[in-house]
Amino acid sequence: MPKAVKLALLLAPAFGLVVVMMSLVIWRAVAQSFGLYNFNGEDLLSLRHWAEMFATRRYWNALEWSAYVATTSALITLAIAYPLALWLRKPFAGSYLLSALLKAPYFVPGLVAVFLLLNVIAFHGIVNQALMWLGLTDRPIRLQNDRNGYGLIALQVWKQLPLAFLLLQGAVQAIPDPVLNAARDLGAGPVARFRKVVLPLTARAMQAASILIFINVAGDFTFQATVGPTRENSLATLMVQYQGTNYGDWNAAAVVGVTLMGLSLVGAVVFTALVQGLTRAMERA
Amino acid sequence: MWTLPRLQTLLASLLTAVFLLWLIVPFAMALLWSLVDPGTPWSYPDILPPALSFERWTLMWETTTLSTAMFNSYTLAPVAAVTAIVLAAPTAYAFARIDFPGKAAAQIVTLTPLVLPGFVTAVFFASILVSFGVYSRYGAILLGHVVLFIPYAVRILTVSFAQVNQEVINAARDLGASGWGVFRAAFWPVLKPGVLASFLIVFILSIEEFALAFIVGSPSFTTIPTILFSYLGYDFIRPNAAVVALILVVPNVLLMLVLERLLQSANPANVSGKG
Repeated sequence: MPKAVKLALLLAPAFGLVVVMMSLVIWRAVAQSFGLYNFNGEDLLSLRHWAEMFATRRYWNALEWSAYVATTSALITLAIAYPLALWLRKPFAGSYLLSALLKAPYFVPGLVAVFLLLNVIAFHGIVNQALMWLGLTDRPIRLQNDRNGYGLIALQVWKQLPLAFLLLQGAVQAIPDPVLNAARDLGAGPVARFRKVVLPLTARAMQAASILIFINVAGDFTFQATVGPTRENSLATLMVQYQGTNYGDWNAAAVVGVTLMGLSLVGAVVFTALVQGLTRAMERA
Repeated sequence: MWTLPRLQTLLASLLTAVFLLWLIVPFAMALLWSLVDPGTPWSYPDILPPALSFERWTLMWETTTLSTAMFNSYTLAPVAAVTAIVLAAPTAYAFARIDFPGKAAAQIVTLTPLVLPGFVTAVFFASILVSFGVYSRYGAILLGHVVLFIPYAVRILTVSFAQVNQEVINAARDLGASGWGVFRAAFWPVLKPGVLASFLIVFILSIEEFALAFIVGSPSFTTIPTILFSYLGYDFIRPNAAVVALILVVPNVLLMLVLERLLQSANPANVSGKG
């Protein structure tokens, strides 16, 4: 058997399957957003579905909300995970248990996390009781589906923290001690060592973590549908509404779906630029 | 006097305590809620449920679709895991042991199911099913899970195949081993932890997967996550949700701990050390 044929046969079952299925899915989304595969009428290549969507307020609100929640969650998660990873670089008494606990949310499925949170923040839940006991409030506060989405963002950060922590911990622990010692011997203080050694060497991990968190959160349906503010939609919940039984408008859903893929791409580009810009600015400063 | 290490340990124990509370309290509450006796409701201002029983569990088993959902989830997951491993193995072999142009790019492309938003994949996969007139929910979700999680199997098995020692293969051949003999002597001992780890990860992810099961399966085909979602929505039935949440999370956490062990034992130093 020629080598090329053998290679193709080896790659077909997994690599081939992924390429075929994923291209079909992406093509389907793009094609339906431009009016092809229309289940409610004739296929007609047109910009009509995009134009209709651009005139819909709900669409822009959902786009804005998804971008806002994803950006805030990514920034807060990094702001918590990065110092923790630096702090736990060298093992000390109790650091292993703490690292293990930080990774625990990774084991908890999203829907279970939602249930646990709903339980804790319920009207007569433990958080409200504690607030009343501490005298911070005399009546229980409505914490579920709060209007500002604090509960939603908190849950996202909780769920994404293990990913950020794992990536950053790997990068921080990979910095060789001699490099840091050399910097110290050359007279670099803690701040300078962080700026000129640690930050550049962890930039790639930070970039990867921020992009993955942004994409994960931007595509969220479950958390928004259960603990998010009831008057907001994420792009995913809006897409499912259009596709679902009430509308059955697959073309509109496709416009929202393609927008979501676009938002993920834009997020990846922006966070790459942000991390690289930050690293360069800190090195020069 | 406070020294830095002592301060560190103090801070670490404080954070550990907070995180432990943060995990233990919600889980304890979930367990309590699942054990609330349906006859005597637990309401404010009772601090603990007035009566505990397994009534809710038996009630859920007998009167809801929970048993069907569990049957569906637990028959989908192992089949998806085995299918993913069988399909992933040849590609992993090629990635690990054959040099070809574009290999790095092919490896990255294999990861696309992981970065595409889950609900986009689910909705337009469903759209394709409509066009092709596929009505088997089981088959459709099975195919979806295989595609979604095959990247994990490919990655783990690529590492495993790379660890297989060429000299052992050659030695087995020189001693006259057949193809099957070479596989048993040189490949299988090294591949085994990777195969088990792939099985577990695809199994766990398939049990937990919500987007595809929800979009493609609802309303007729339920899995454990879709039934949990239905109890979290506008008809939030807390004791029912508590039961389903525990059924979903407890087996998976145990399997995850096994997986951690396996991934550590799949470490090259441990496996290829025997030569």
